[in-house]
Amino acid sequence: MNRRTQLGQTAKSTVWLLLFLLGCAQAMAQESYTISGTITDKNNGETLFGASVLLGGTTIGGITNEYGFYSITAPAGEYILRISYMGYNEVNMKINLDRDLKNDVEVSEFSTELDEVVVTADEPERALLGKPEMSVVKMNMGTVKQMPVVLGEVDVLKSLQMLPGVTNNGEGTGGFHVRGGAQDQNLVLLDEAIIYNTSHMFGFFSVFNADAIKDVKLYKGGIPARFGGRVSSVLDIRQKDGNNKNFALTGGIGVISSRLTAEGPLFREKGSFLIAGRRSYVDLLLKAAGEDNSVSFYDLNLKTNYAINPNNKLFLSGYFGRDAFKLGSSFDSSYGNASGNLRWNHIFNDRLFSNLSAIWSRYDYDLEFAQDEFEWISSITNYNLKYDFKHYLSDAFNLDFGANGIYYDFDPGEVNPTADTSPVNPLKLDQKRALESGIYINAEHKLTPSLTLQYGMRYSAFSRLGGQPISKYANGQPVVYNSLLGIYERGEAIGEEDYAKSETIETFGNLEPRVSLAYLLNENSSIKAGYSRTAQYIHLLSNTSSVTPLDVWTPSGPFIKPQLSNQYALGYFRNFLDKVYSLEVETYYKTVDNRIDYIDGSDLIGQNTIETEILNGEMRAYGLELLLRKNEGNFTGWIAYTLSKSEQRTLGGTAGGPGINDGDWYNSAFDRTHDISISGAYQLNDQWSFGTNLVFQTGRPVTYPNGQYVYEDLSIATYAPRNSDRLPAYHRMDVSLNYKPRKYQNKRFKGEWVLSIYNLYNRKNAASISFGQNLETGANQATRTAIFGIVPSLTYNFKF
Amino acid sequence: MKTFKKIILVIIVIAFASCVDVVDVEVQNGPTRLVVEASLDWEKGTAGNQQTIRLSESTPFFNTGTITEVTGASVVVTNDTSGDVFVFADQGNGEYLSTTFEPVLAQSYTLRIEHNGEVYTATETMTPVTDITDIFQNREEGFNDEELEVHIVFTDPEEEGNNYLFRFQREGDLLPGLEVGEDRFLNGNEIDWWYEIEEDEDEHIDPFQPGDILHIEMYGISRPYYDYIKILVEQLGGTGLFESTPVTVRGNCINETHPENYAYGYFRLTQVVKASYTFVEE
Repeated sequence: MNRRTQLGQTAKSTVWLLLFLLGCAQAMAQESYTISGTITDKNNGETLFGASVLLGGTTIGGITNEYGFYSITAPAGEYILRISYMGYNEVNMKINLDRDLKNDVEVSEFSTELDEVVVTADEPERALLGKPEMSVVKMNMGTVKQMPVVLGEVDVLKSLQMLPGVTNNGEGTGGFHVRGGAQDQNLVLLDEAIIYNTSHMFGFFSVFNADAIKDVKLYKGGIPARFGGRVSSVLDIRQKDGNNKNFALTGGIGVISSRLTAEGPLFREKGSFLIAGRRSYVDLLLKAAGEDNSVSFYDLNLKTNYAINPNNKLFLSGYFGRDAFKLGSSFDSSYGNASGNLRWNHIFNDRLFSNLSAIWSRYDYDLEFAQDEFEWISSITNYNLKYDFKHYLSDAFNLDFGANGIYYDFDPGEVNPTADTSPVNPLKLDQKRALESGIYINAEHKLTPSLTLQYGMRYSAFSRLGGQPISKYANGQPVVYNSLLGIYERGEAIGEEDYAKSETIETFGNLEPRVSLAYLLNENSSIKAGYSRTAQYIHLLSNTSSVTPLDVWTPSGPFIKPQLSNQYALGYFRNFLDKVYSLEVETYYKTVDNRIDYIDGSDLIGQNTIETEILNGEMRAYGLELLLRKNEGNFTGWIAYTLSKSEQRTLGGTAGGPGINDGDWYNSAFDRTHDISISGAYQLNDQWSFGTNLVFQTGRPVTYPNGQYVYEDLSIATYAPRNSDRLPAYHRMDVSLNYKPRKYQNKRFKGEWVLSIYNLYNRKNAASISFGQNLETGANQATRTAIFGIVPSLTYNFKF
Repeated sequence: MKTFKKIILVIIVIAFASCVDVVDVEVQNGPTRLVVEASLDWEKGTAGNQQTIRLSESTPFFNTGTITEVTGASVVVTNDTSGDVFVFADQGNGEYLSTTFEPVLAQSYTLRIEHNGEVYTATETMTPVTDITDIFQNREEGFNDEELEVHIVFTDPEEEGNNYLFRFQREGDLLPGLEVGEDRFLNGNEIDWWYEIEEDEDEHIDPFQPGDILHIEMYGISRPYYDYIKILVEQLGGTGLFESTPVTVRGNCINETHPENYAYGYFRLTQVVKASYTFVEE
């Protein structure tokens, strides 16, 4: 079957599916009325995502979407409408559903204190049990802000790593890993814009300023059909809309950086704005200390919205962040993300909600080598158009559907001499262009009061566009196995084929079914199961132990195939002891096809023909995740435990030979056998609260020497098979203390001191261990680099 | 380009005063293999008749002390065009010596070693090198703009594909410094190659001082040897967070008898220019 007929058939079957679903939905929706509206915070007008809306005495209800919108359809009658959201007072209102109703509700927080203790990581558990959404972590910013942090910087990504299935690659490395997946397999969205690099200062801090963020949702599996493009996870971060009631200032002064957020109403409360800025000042301290070297970052979050009328609302959001580092007079560099998003929420009718987004985002870096008189620049830019619908057809049937298209422009690298005397010749790596598109439809279908199904399909397509040459290799082999020497070598280029901009180099298409179900065993427990297939068309090239900000993204094409993942998950969820405690147990098994790995001695820097450095392989990961939480009371917190395995295999394929590591499975760099995280918070009284984190993790897989020989009067190490050794186990304990002076209470100005101590018992956790000769004695030795010892810090936060 | 991963690490260490210390680690024990150091280096302007090949065995990583010399092997190099055979005589100390070797540029040679009933072979081509046109000292360049570094100036030949190996040995230092270069970004240009020694207080290494004598060797090397020695040099100081996963580097010596029992090391044929430089007070 050729690609065109496959496409045609897919479109046809999607239409049939849609018609079928609409048909059954219509049949069920007779003699009912709909109540719909938006749930907002009474205090600042922020819309609430994930608030539960229920008709009392029935099982009819729903959860607000990203824009606070809900829609419930029920048979005519009188009901109590119950609105609940963790940390907020429950609202019960009498409604007479004798016609379609529009009902916007404002809810107020339990307390209006700064950073109130709301350590319940989710919307009410009773709503979640029956929802076929699994492998999802939603973090309340209140929880995030209460956890002890390194250097006083509240960090969303580090907080997520306290939950099961989420790890990082050690201190001082960027990004995060989900269920044994790689960093580039996470789709990170900030107000829907793709963020390519999630960390500042090479991973010490995340790019997300906690003051500007409303909520954080991480899909570790069971990725809804509306998301596509990455095989491991989706991290969906939403910025605050801005206070539309009063002008407010929030800020903090810390050891490393300070931040300030201003927000307030616009257009007579029809709109609002938010501007949040953050800047580090290590560079200023280094300068004051007479240091030539410097490192710094800043970021800026912007958001504004305007309600044209109750059915139409516009949002404009932006993010700009940048890092700079400088080494004396010889080396200067900066890198960062920028993004912008214009959105239009339109409510067609009380059951049909839509959002249209036009999004732009870019990541780039710029290195300047003053001595050698050249600069090196690289960037990735994308333009994304997205139209999403949510159709609340009946109390038992909701439909999501939509389409999107992303145009990518990859500029992997350009070398420009900065002076006539420069010894370096100009060079430009081939610019690459691609178009990624997707259509999807997804149904949430309550079959019986205790069984809810979610089933959907995404069709994604990827076109690698022309406008560049593609190398041709002898026998079509960019990598060749030299059987005499037992090594992989670069293939022999025998020419190039030029593709015009109007031509398409290669096209891929994939059907991605997503299915899950929730079955309520009783009022307090449920089981869930899910299957999802996802495709990933762009890849981050990195052959180092840790991803660096200088790694480059590359699209699928003639030599690199799209990564395809299948994930199966099964879970058991239970609330007990009056819902004060909850237990979540999940197991998963996932496979990824076409995961590339790098041949021994690969060289990616300034490499125009990446295909000569890689082999296509596969990944598999499986594990068990346990999360026990105490959700209420003065003491709250959780214990998270993950037992898992993540492996890779890279066979020789068309290049011949056995492949990497003799074709055997080897640990991926993200494999952690055991991962235990304990997080707790204790509220002593209105003024004092305490927090603690305990972390224990199996050491990261690494490659150590297994012998030596003398060559050129030096000891040369030989190495054991790839990732067959491990760093020592990682563990640490952090504590934090929050103090709210009493004099500020009940006043408009509120202040708070946060003292946190990271790595309390000063364990020297190895970020890496390297091996070499002692220059004086010539003896081989192992050298450990530990990034953070004990790090105390003090931060002052304020709000008025 | 060769340095930017190192720069990241340097900055992290500076910015966060992170801790670096020597620790005890258990490592695995790999197979013992024959090590071939067959470096037939022809110094420009000499006859190049006298050449030495060293044979030894690999040892566990943390072993200290003497190297395991291999004696009693038969070592022969053949000119692949003329068929001339050069026999390397066993000196009884792991060294095998020939005084009649005839180097020819761009000529392919084959090495054949017989040891313990196994036959090892390797083939390589003699690669020329350009001349060093100037050597001088300065302080401004290098990682540290207050310490002395040496500059070697040479002009890369016009045709692309020249690869270089530099060996620096300061008198009094135990270990030499190796660096590799290629002309990928620099083809046909006049190149100013600098070399600096970083201070290491723990291991008592000082930067260059006036009066220091530095022996400099610049080799013209083949592309396969460049691919080999480049990884080897990159992995010398150990590999950190932002460097590639370390690997065992395979040389060009094949075991004809038992292919899996390949040898470490390399059969290389290079032309080399040598110079010495004495640092002076400015």
